[in-house]
Amino acid sequence: MSARETILSRIRRATGGGDPASVEARLAGGQGAPIPRQGRAEGDARVEQFIAKARAADATVSRLATADDLPAALAAELRARNLPAAIRTGADPLFDRDWGPVERSTGTGRLDEPATLSRARMGMAETGTLLLASGPENPVTLTFLGETHFVVIDAADIAAGFEDMWAGWRARGLDPRTVNLVTGPSRSADIGQTLQLGAHGPVALHVFVLG
Amino acid sequence: MPPSTPRVALLVTCLVDTMRPSVGFAAVRLLEQAGCTVHVPVQTCCGQPNYNSGDRDGARALARRMIEAMAGFDFVVAPSGSCAATVIKDYPQMFAGDPEWEAPARDLAGRTHEIVSFLTDVMEIDAVGARVPARATYHDSCSGLRSLGIKDQPRKLLASVEGLTLAEMAEPEICCGFGGTFCVKYPDISNKMVSNKTADIAATGAELLLAGDLGCLMNMAGKLSREGKPVKARHVVEVLAGDTDTPAIGEGGK
Amino acid sequence: MSAHAPTTPRFKQNAREALANKNIQAAMGNAQAGFVAKRAAARAALPEFDDIRDAARDLKNHVLANLDAYLERYEAKVTAAGGHVHWAETAEDAQRIVLDICREAGAKTVNKGKSMISEECGINDFLEEHGVRAQETDLGEYIIQLRHEMPSHIIAPAVHVTVPEVEAEFRKAHTHLDPGRNLAELPSLLAEARGVLREKYFGAEVGITGANMLIAETGQSVIVTNEGNGDLSQSLPRVHIVMASIEKIVPTLEDASTVLRVLARSATGQEITVYTTFSSGPRRPEDPDGPEEYHVVLLDNGRTGMLGTEFQEMLRCIRCGACMNHCPVYQSVGGHAYGWVYPGPMGAVLTPSLIGVEKGGQLPNASTFCGRCESVCPMRIPLPKMMRHWREREFEKNLTPSAARWGLAAWRFLGTRAWAYRLVTAASARALALAAMGKGRLARLPMGGGWTAHRDFPAPQGRTFQSQWRGER
Repeated sequence: MSARETILSRIRRATGGGDPASVEARLAGGQGAPIPRQGRAEGDARVEQFIAKARAADATVSRLATADDLPAALAAELRARNLPAAIRTGADPLFDRDWGPVERSTGTGRLDEPATLSRARMGMAETGTLLLASGPENPVTLTFLGETHFVVIDAADIAAGFEDMWAGWRARGLDPRTVNLVTGPSRSADIGQTLQLGAHGPVALHVFVLG
Repeated sequence: MPPSTPRVALLVTCLVDTMRPSVGFAAVRLLEQAGCTVHVPVQTCCGQPNYNSGDRDGARALARRMIEAMAGFDFVVAPSGSCAATVIKDYPQMFAGDPEWEAPARDLAGRTHEIVSFLTDVMEIDAVGARVPARATYHDSCSGLRSLGIKDQPRKLLASVEGLTLAEMAEPEICCGFGGTFCVKYPDISNKMVSNKTADIAATGAELLLAGDLGCLMNMAGKLSREGKPVKARHVVEVLAGDTDTPAIGEGGK
Repeated sequence: MSAHAPTTPRFKQNAREALANKNIQAAMGNAQAGFVAKRAAARAALPEFDDIRDAARDLKNHVLANLDAYLERYEAKVTAAGGHVHWAETAEDAQRIVLDICREAGAKTVNKGKSMISEECGINDFLEEHGVRAQETDLGEYIIQLRHEMPSHIIAPAVHVTVPEVEAEFRKAHTHLDPGRNLAELPSLLAEARGVLREKYFGAEVGITGANMLIAETGQSVIVTNEGNGDLSQSLPRVHIVMASIEKIVPTLEDASTVLRVLARSATGQEITVYTTFSSGPRRPEDPDGPEEYHVVLLDNGRTGMLGTEFQEMLRCIRCGACMNHCPVYQSVGGHAYGWVYPGPMGAVLTPSLIGVEKGGQLPNASTFCGRCESVCPMRIPLPKMMRHWREREFEKNLTPSAARWGLAAWRFLGTRAWAYRLVTAASARALALAAMGKGRLARLPMGGGWTAHRDFPAPQGRTFQSQWRGER
């Protein structure tokens, strides 16, 4: 008997076969876990909560009227952070624009990349979290290899909490290799149990909220 | 509402019975002041030492005797959160599925209470008439706290003791390291835990340490005494009954 | 240190050494207060926290009752996404599966994200023995790899290491750096680790991560991290191996979210970790990065033997570490004293299941049953009750030390015979009271050395309560 069969048959012996109907019901979305108030914000309060929570997780956030404001805002952020006027992005059409003084390169993440820019497909106000999907438009390595990571998110893509976000996610019908939920810049408390920002991923995370 | 003059059996606990009978008498006084008639059925031990050591048969043998001894009373009250929790929480599990003993075990569990919570929650006492001028600190013994939810009840009654002020420890809810046989099976770890506890006690500046379980109290009192810390230890019912004439735990006779 | 040489049977001695180790004592004292306060604050900030705990418990109970169906569904989804699922009955099987994948990939170096299952399987040593270098990338795991130690905590593996010790390790290991460099400040230590490890990310052919969850609905494996190392470990190499135990399954994304809502709050007090990563299959044809191969090793290693027993509830554990963060025994002795991969209360229950109660039986005995672990467990696992079940197994297998057995038998004899109890308690109370000679306490006690080595023994008052009550002489 294969290991697979051995393990499955041991389980069946212990559980007596379980309840297949309850499995189908659960997979069809039948769960009754409470959704906390924190994950149910509505309207503009949702965006405000998203911004407040992201800041609480040590991200910085600015709000722009439209994507057309992005090049100037990015240039200003890079200047303010003493970073070179250069950005690395994926092939997301949102980034096909005139970046002015900022030199844009495209491709995957590289070692010692000062700044990268990604577009979040969704976000959630519950915890100030961004949802990024891997692919040519937003390569996954850009999320982890930039010293400073800039992320653009459309205010309309910010869900209240997990449940809304997953519903919106399923509606989009995407199937990327990797979905990254990102909440603030990377950190570690492994040395002396003292929290420090900038472990292996970015030292800083800046979010542009559009709209 | 309890009966106007409830018949209460005192589950004295083997530790109070053997080591510190004055706790039992203080308990009787408090129960009588609250309007109970108190009986002391012939009894031994609730079986917790056997139960917690993995000796299920032995524990059940002792539990059966306790169930028989406590039959027929309105309430069974123990001056110990730990022993009360054994009866209330463990007895029904010990006899789960036992055709003869499950029902009596559940019945006893339903009638059994730790004394301080019995006074406040069942007899609805909110003040005692004692006067004990002292700065005291209160240790929340684990079983009473986490199995029975005893936290506010002793503080409420202690607040009514004339002259007593309560100085809380930084961490009154952390285990003192007694743990029944744990303290002799793992003396080094137990010592570390009780040392943390006595440091916390000393930092309050209290002259009196109170708790609701004699095992924990003997552990902490023994450590305080070994460390030469001038803190007296008493069971909370002694103070609530106004008994401060009896030498404190580990203290020499008069 | 090999994961296959547990020092768990030496727990008492380990504990004594840890209590005498100033570095461990200093590091542990620092850590615990922080964890406790942060969890308490996170819980207070989420009014629905305890309701979500109930939901998380119920969801995991449902999964365990239907584990076969969910595993099959999960496997089908992984396969459909182009991934491979490997079933491993034992740690040794998992070792061989991982080695075969590494050989197939021509791997000389494997990068590792943090994985307790890989610790349980002793993957690092096994790969090294077969010529494959396993490089830990989680900062804490990296520190203990330099020290040739096992983790002492499941989410903070180097919690027992003080800052000066980290500096010393870095100076010893990073010999290519200027010996005169200043490492006095914490940020300089972190920057050095970041620099050293970043270079290593690009050299490995295989990346191994663990999984906090496996989602049946989508075939995704989920990791939660704060550092980002797990993501680099799985995104840069050509092959990604996930090592996960079978009970990590949850049905849907919503169910995963229920667990996520309690996981970080219980662990570090965060609402959510910085990174929560859902991975399915290899990179898609159009993808410019990500692994070309995706393997999941599903490990049993004794877990099916816990199903249907009094230890089944332990399989709800999500490895948050709250139990050890709140355990006064763990705080006193640190994680290494437990002698194997899983320390603290969850280890005290799990370890005997995985290495046998003959070797692991000390751990469930080393508890006061104070119940603090259960009170904070996000999955509401009755840890003390299960430790008692281990004591019952020991007792039934005659593994309980004979002095203790004799004592229990004697107590049973007395406790079931009121006359004998009365005689013995009255005589003991009187004898001990006399021995105290009016001092009220005893500094030494026959057969009570464990007590009186560290504290005085308060003497009994002299006559038992029952004899006084009944007016006996």
